[in-house]
Amino acid sequence: MAQREAFPWLYEQHDFENGLRLVTVPLPWRGVASVYIVVHAGSRNEVEPGRSGFAHFFEHMMFRGTRAFPPERYERALQRMGAASNAYTDDDRTVYHTTLAAEDLDALLGMEADRFQNLEYSEEDFRTEALAVLGEYWKDSAEPLNRLFEVLRDTAFDVHPYKHTTMGFLRDIERMPEMYDYSLEFFDRYYRPENTTILICGDVIPETARAMVERHWGGWKRGRWRLEMPQEPPQRGLREARIEWETHTLPYVAVAQKAPAYDDGSAECAALDLISALSFSHGSELYRRLVIEEQWADDLWANTVDHVDPYLFTVVARVKQPARTGDVRRAIEEELERIAAEPPGEERLEKVKSHLRYRFVLGMDRSEAVAAALSPFLGLRRTPATVNRLFATMEAVTPDQVAEAARAWFGPEKRTVVTLEEKAG
Amino acid sequence: MKVIVREDGGPLVSVRVVFRAGSAMDPAGREGAAWLAGQMLAHGGTRRRSYQQILDFLFPRGAAVDVSVDKEMTCFRMDCHADHAEQMADLLAEMLCDPGWREEDFLRLREDAVHFLEADLRGENDEELGREALYGLVFEGHPYGHPCAGRVSALRGMGLEDVRAFATAEYSRENVWIACGGAQAGCVAQRLREAMAALPAKARNNGETPSAARLRNHRMIFVEKPAEGVAVSIGFPIEVVRGHEDYPALLTAVSALGQHRSSGGRLFESLRQRRGLNYGDYAYIEYFPAPMFLLEPEPNHARRRQIFELWIRPVAPEHAHFAVRLALAEVERLVEEGLTEEEFEAARSFLSRHFVLLEEGLSARLGHEIDGLYYGTGLQSDHLRERLPVLTREEVRRAAERHLRPQAMAFAFAGQGMEDLRRRIVDEAPSPVEYNAPKPESILREDERVSRRLLGAREAETRVVPAQEMFE
Repeated sequence: MAQREAFPWLYEQHDFENGLRLVTVPLPWRGVASVYIVVHAGSRNEVEPGRSGFAHFFEHMMFRGTRAFPPERYERALQRMGAASNAYTDDDRTVYHTTLAAEDLDALLGMEADRFQNLEYSEEDFRTEALAVLGEYWKDSAEPLNRLFEVLRDTAFDVHPYKHTTMGFLRDIERMPEMYDYSLEFFDRYYRPENTTILICGDVIPETARAMVERHWGGWKRGRWRLEMPQEPPQRGLREARIEWETHTLPYVAVAQKAPAYDDGSAECAALDLISALSFSHGSELYRRLVIEEQWADDLWANTVDHVDPYLFTVVARVKQPARTGDVRRAIEEELERIAAEPPGEERLEKVKSHLRYRFVLGMDRSEAVAAALSPFLGLRRTPATVNRLFATMEAVTPDQVAEAARAWFGPEKRTVVTLEEKAG
Repeated sequence: MKVIVREDGGPLVSVRVVFRAGSAMDPAGREGAAWLAGQMLAHGGTRRRSYQQILDFLFPRGAAVDVSVDKEMTCFRMDCHADHAEQMADLLAEMLCDPGWREEDFLRLREDAVHFLEADLRGENDEELGREALYGLVFEGHPYGHPCAGRVSALRGMGLEDVRAFATAEYSRENVWIACGGAQAGCVAQRLREAMAALPAKARNNGETPSAARLRNHRMIFVEKPAEGVAVSIGFPIEVVRGHEDYPALLTAVSALGQHRSSGGRLFESLRQRRGLNYGDYAYIEYFPAPMFLLEPEPNHARRRQIFELWIRPVAPEHAHFAVRLALAEVERLVEEGLTEEEFEAARSFLSRHFVLLEEGLSARLGHEIDGLYYGTGLQSDHLRERLPVLTREEVRRAAERHLRPQAMAFAFAGQGMEDLRRRIVDEAPSPVEYNAPKPESILREDERVSRRLLGAREAETRVVPAQEMFE
């Protein structure tokens, strides 16, 4: 496996004159195609005060129709195709995805091109949709992890938009109905060809897909907006927060370290990915101790969640024995410090690399899954090439580089710790 | 034993081993035995290897063995790379046929199951809490009446021997189906088939599940817990399962009413799109596992007994009463008027073409083939493509009329201020709504009518239960 490319499929990448990029991945499974339209704007783009959550809200508005395709007609057309269609917003991207019979690809690309260029909705529809977003916040609010990450980000960041979650602060969501004019501005800024990548995976011929996209999307005009990103100052000390949860819950502990921006050629970034599996996955020594042997926790994981700008390396545990919450926190912090002091064994590191490579390939057993696995990388670098570069970089990481990355990023002055516990009494 | 093999030249291997045994076979007072039996095999050690040794084996291979325990099925899944097909087949065979039954694994997994009910279900997911409360209400006194994970008190009182006894009694050669796909699928299947020869020939359960008692009146449970919104689930038992002659017609009607996570259903259009009452509203005639996390139904949750289910995602407490009235008005309209020609054609087209997409992946395909065996209908996509072209709009209307009974339903609410909501519903209090933007006259007129609609709940058939008492 070590010799093979991590992303095993051939692909074609094409840039249109207006800046739109198309990535086509022909796959051996017959009759199905998956279209992922990646807009390179997410909650990271919510730089203005009071606008947190807007990219996600705007994703909802993209389903409010055009003159040619009012929402009912758009939905009816998807229904007739038997298509599975949805969208999501993340920090660095908003993704509109549809899986359908390959024979309907042209019709779908036509409908999507229409709404990306000619979206039109009334203020009444806008205000009604703001309520649906509030409903989405309510449904999420029952989950302690959502609150944990909301507080973690707010505590860890001072000025960068990563300070808020994709959903946004409740106070901003409640004010959304008043932001109709801003929504038009948002569309004008970000829904532009140079800011969009179309990914088509499945039973598709690249030349045919290119001609379809050219026909439907070729007339889309470039934009002029340049985003000015506030620079997050370096963190200079341990930050902590504690959440009291109203209902019964097991405690959660999140220990987050400031981490570098995604860079597929950086040994340091690749080393942090390796540490997430080495030290905090089901295959780690700490998992064995906390979950299997001592049973202080029932889950433990870490993610680097690669981001366009410097973000967080976060370790989360759910604590099974509430009295052990402090011990679990200490165990995580000690592991962060241990990995800085003590490079992993060569053999152990090889197992971790093997684990990450196989994990990446394993889920990709159909068009939709390949597109879903690839789209976050397109959100970062607009090309599948970044996947193979990242895994090649990872392959070359040495035990000493792992320890160096930990020394560079895991100091307590770059740390934020948030605990969530059931309210006493 | 039945074996399905779908060999291909790809780089992956996928296996599903399904026992036709689940929580519906839990002995009385041992609710959770099926759940723990599945967990012990998938997340415990074998006689030769500790669970830690299994994790160490899986890790560099990036492979996984997992389990889902449902009412009538326990499905073990294994996915790995072709590089490890043989080794993983050996491991899976060992895990399923030669488990270690270690006390330390049992205590860990039993505690996890208790926490799943106490923390995850009661505390962290109001929508699933509402759904489980609904199933508990519809299936009171029935083998489906407790969550698949069991009951807290039964789990706490259970010993390793109870779980082992369940596995010995219910996992048999007769009720196991093995489906292998991908690289070396034939060899993997052969290895598993050989290992399964060590299982008992027959299972204790006789493959029969009684019908749920028909509801005579509305029945309501209000689960009190701190929350921002109120989650609502509504339903009642139906006789229609896959293979029933009315299944394609009823599926078409309910797809038009509220296809899962589609913006095209009547409920979605009425509650969310026009009024912004919540995030989404859907309808089902088959159990859909974890709908808040999945866009597509995970196979191998097939059940002999199904309910018609409305899922109303959390609404503002002051709108809960109105949202229920509006959703029921939509069900009633469906029963009385059926679908328009356009709705009928669109829903039929959707169902004819959608299932092919669900069955595309290696693992999903195997799962759907197993479900096809279970219901005796073959692959759902083939079944519907055969039946839907001859379906008529009138058959859809008649099926809705025959099987949907909005006059006697079970209602489950989860949220805060439940006593007040119960009072308003029992008193048939008006439930006017106000909007943040002007609405067309047609909507305001409909609101006026709906906000006074009588539900007909009898106080004696309603109860408020604190969340911490659920599933005890």
